[in-house]
Amino acid sequence: MAKEKIHVGLEIGTTKVCAVVAECGRDGEIRLLGVGESPSRGVRKGEMVDFQNASKCVHDALADAEERSDQEIKSVWLAITGSHLQSFNNRSSSSLAEESEITEKEIGDVEYKAKEISIPKENVILHSIIQRYYVDGQEGVIDPLGMLGTKLEADYHIIHGVMTRIQNTIRCVKEFDIDVDDVVVNSVASAQVVLSDSQKQAGAVVIDIGGGVTDYIVYHDGVVRHSGAIAIGGDHITNDLCIGLRIPITRAEKLKIEEGSAMVGGHPPGEKITLRNDTGFSGKEVDRELLNMIINARVNELFKILKKRIHEVVPEHLLGSGILLTGGCSMLRGVREVAEMIFDSPVTLVHAHSVSGPTSAFENPQLSTCIGLVKYAQAVNADMPEETIMSKFKKLLNFNLGL
Amino acid sequence: MSPYPHHEEPAKEAAISLIGIGNAGVNITDRLAMRAALPIRTIALNSDQQSLTASVASKKLVLGPMTTHGLGAGGDPERAIDAAKESLGELQEAVSGSDVVILCAGLGGGTGSAVTPLLAKMAKEKGALVVAVVTSPFQFEGRRRSQQAVESLAELQRHVDALIHFENDRMAELVEPRADVSETFAACDGLLFQAIGGIVRMLGNPGPLPIAVNDLLSVLRAGAGGCLFGCGESEGGNRAHESLEQALRSPLLDRGRLLQEAGKILVHLSGPASLTFAEVAAVMREISKNTSASAHLCLGVSSAGDDSAPLIVTIIGRTGVEERKSAPAPSVAMPSISTPPPAAPAPPVEDKMVADPEVASPTTKTQKVKQDFLPLEPIARGRFERSEPTIVEGEDLDVPTFLRLKIKK
Ligand SMILES: Nc1ncnc2c1ncn2[C@@H]1O[C@H](COP(=O)(O)OP(=O)(O)OP(=O)(O)O)[C@@H](O)[C@H]1O
Ligand SMILES: Nc1nc2c(ncn2[C@@H]2O[C@H](COP(=O)(O)OP(=O)(O)O)[C@@H](O)[C@H]2O)c(=O)[nH]1
Ligand SMILES: [Mg+2]
Ligand SMILES: [Mg+2]
Repeated sequence: MAKEKIHVGLEIGTTKVCAVVAECGRDGEIRLLGVGESPSRGVRKGEMVDFQNASKCVHDALADAEERSDQEIKSVWLAITGSHLQSFNNRSSSSLAEESEITEKEIGDVEYKAKEISIPKENVILHSIIQRYYVDGQEGVIDPLGMLGTKLEADYHIIHGVMTRIQNTIRCVKEFDIDVDDVVVNSVASAQVVLSDSQKQAGAVVIDIGGGVTDYIVYHDGVVRHSGAIAIGGDHITNDLCIGLRIPITRAEKLKIEEGSAMVGGHPPGEKITLRNDTGFSGKEVDRELLNMIINARVNELFKILKKRIHEVVPEHLLGSGILLTGGCSMLRGVREVAEMIFDSPVTLVHAHSVSGPTSAFENPQLSTCIGLVKYAQAVNADMPEETIMSKFKKLLNFNLGL
Repeated sequence: MSPYPHHEEPAKEAAISLIGIGNAGVNITDRLAMRAALPIRTIALNSDQQSLTASVASKKLVLGPMTTHGLGAGGDPERAIDAAKESLGELQEAVSGSDVVILCAGLGGGTGSAVTPLLAKMAKEKGALVVAVVTSPFQFEGRRRSQQAVESLAELQRHVDALIHFENDRMAELVEPRADVSETFAACDGLLFQAIGGIVRMLGNPGPLPIAVNDLLSVLRAGAGGCLFGCGESEGGNRAHESLEQALRSPLLDRGRLLQEAGKILVHLSGPASLTFAEVAAVMREISKNTSASAHLCLGVSSAGDDSAPLIVTIIGRTGVEERKSAPAPSVAMPSISTPPPAAPAPPVEDKMVADPEVASPTTKTQKVKQDFLPLEPIARGRFERSEPTIVEGEDLDVPTFLRLKIKK
């Protein structure tokens, strides 16, 4: 078999279900083979509320991805988000018998202990991400393997969520006899493709503003410091416009994208936008200032909440590379400027890079999570080159049946 | 013909647990948890964290996290035993509180081979009826795996009340010569899925004509000979004929031919209340055409629920069974176990989730407060009316920001 491995990333988003099929080389290169999409139904705030409908959309997106990539999808890396996600940093320590060499086992033990911390009974740990090790109190150990010591300590960033809600999403995929390679939290996935190593080092925040959820993650010194999800997204803006301007939800969505801006001012006072009549809607004049004011209030509030949450854990001066915005809602006019004012740091709009393929089509911030999933998959695989028993076994089977 | 008389006295419901052990076992348990609306508790037990993460079983137990670090037993039963020793408490928990414990695993690897016999013993000690459904490895997986499977199987036989043992080789051979790998696996898994479903239905048979537990056990009791199994399902006018056809077509019956070699055969029909005696008779007549004259046929019928339930025919037998007279009766008291009728299955978990999206909503109080000073409340949540509210610091953020700001001013 070739060294290239096919990975599939699947995001069941509030707005769209999206599946990315990519070929990952050992050298770190990722070639996108195809992206399948379907508008979402039955998903609110990043979580399934109507299984039947959502399941149909997942099927459509996967079928679309299979067709476009000409690959049969057997398993996926699945994105998870929602307000139930929680995170914290935890230090654990383990004493070594006597001054002895640190092996995989000791490293495994210290990670296991970090996860022993009590989380709510109905929750499961989704990620335990290593931040740093200490050997006999000495800081800055990147890889303790093979070092000598009497005490090994480690800091972990732990992300956990409500098991039944996560299972719900998994179930939706397994329905189609497709395996889930693993579940990955949205923010962790997105960061894989929008952040460079130097940005991770200097300190940066990635904010993925989607339809129903805004996911964020903070890096500093090359490691994850903080992460979270808040159930506010582009849907909220659309809903605010629907209520504030008294227009149907579909018109509000269109108006937001075509005319809306998160910045107020910059246009002649009293300027009106004419909405043409449509079936079931008699047309309307909308005041541009009111439109932008409604959007501004929401976006402003969102960034203020994020700023508070982030600075509670990571002080501002550690964020040298500033704020990176991605997700569909980052395309909204004026969002960057508002973020800049609130955070008082440089803000950049980003989408996945360092992938090859018919790229221009993939240079879309709505795809960050999904492309991030395959990058994540590749990183996990590069870390664990040994084959799993099952894959070895399947290969054996392949060989014997002469397939 | 008149329909079967229905039992009057309400039977005690038996608690049935299905425990999947190791990767293969968890796989199959997942299928049952997702597809079959059976009133059972599903438990996934593995030393491989990844397989558990992706499982949908109602309970997941990781074995020996300190021993294997969640990476599985690496095909090594010794390692799996160490992992099991670390997690004895979890194992006890898994086998507790059930009248019937069904164990499911692919033998030959580490976890399944080592832990399944151990669990069987523990479940037995708790007084449960223990049924194991296992596979032995493909021949080309190598001698070591076959050997591990043989040893495990021998140990298992000492502790279980009933054993259903399928050989992967045989199943693969019988599926479709040209099927690709994943199809072959899926087909094997599909057969195991049907077998477990069939056993659960027989055990939980509410009547009117239950299969005696002793009959079931005497067919399934560990012993020489291969296991015969077929299952078919159909609804509509010709359901009796169609479901039987399907059952006989099962590869493990070799298109029905293998029935000729079986000494004792269990036939179970499960269907809606409208199931008629004529249909039952037609099925039995057809089956006896395929069996030897001396074969002992045991019939079970359960009919309950509404007419939309399909008719399911399950056939279980064993080749080369020399009738061991009165195999010791199971030590458990199982006068009549019963489960809810098939037509009213437990609702799948996702329905519960959907029906109650506000389970974790901490908002009743805050919403009330808001209502006091927000006159627009009835429309103000709009699109989010039915979703869990986004509450930050006591404020319902689904209400448009501009409205909340106006109120505050
Ligand atoms: N050009 C645009 N201008 C403004 N908003 C946009 C634009 N394009 C998309 N959006 C908004 O982006 C949102 C969808 O973003 P995205 O596809 O990242 O969400 P999602 O992944 O489906 O949802 P989530 O991650 O929250 O579950 C919608 O609210 C949509 O209105
Ligand atoms: N039918 C079926 N058999 C499997 C599957 N996976 C593994 N097996 C078989 O089960 C045996 C044990 O493998 P596995 O369950 O991975 O090992 P364990 O987790 O260490 O118990 C293998 O030798 C295979 O014969 C599967 O998905 N379906
Ligand atoms: Mg998204
Ligand atoms: Mg998002």
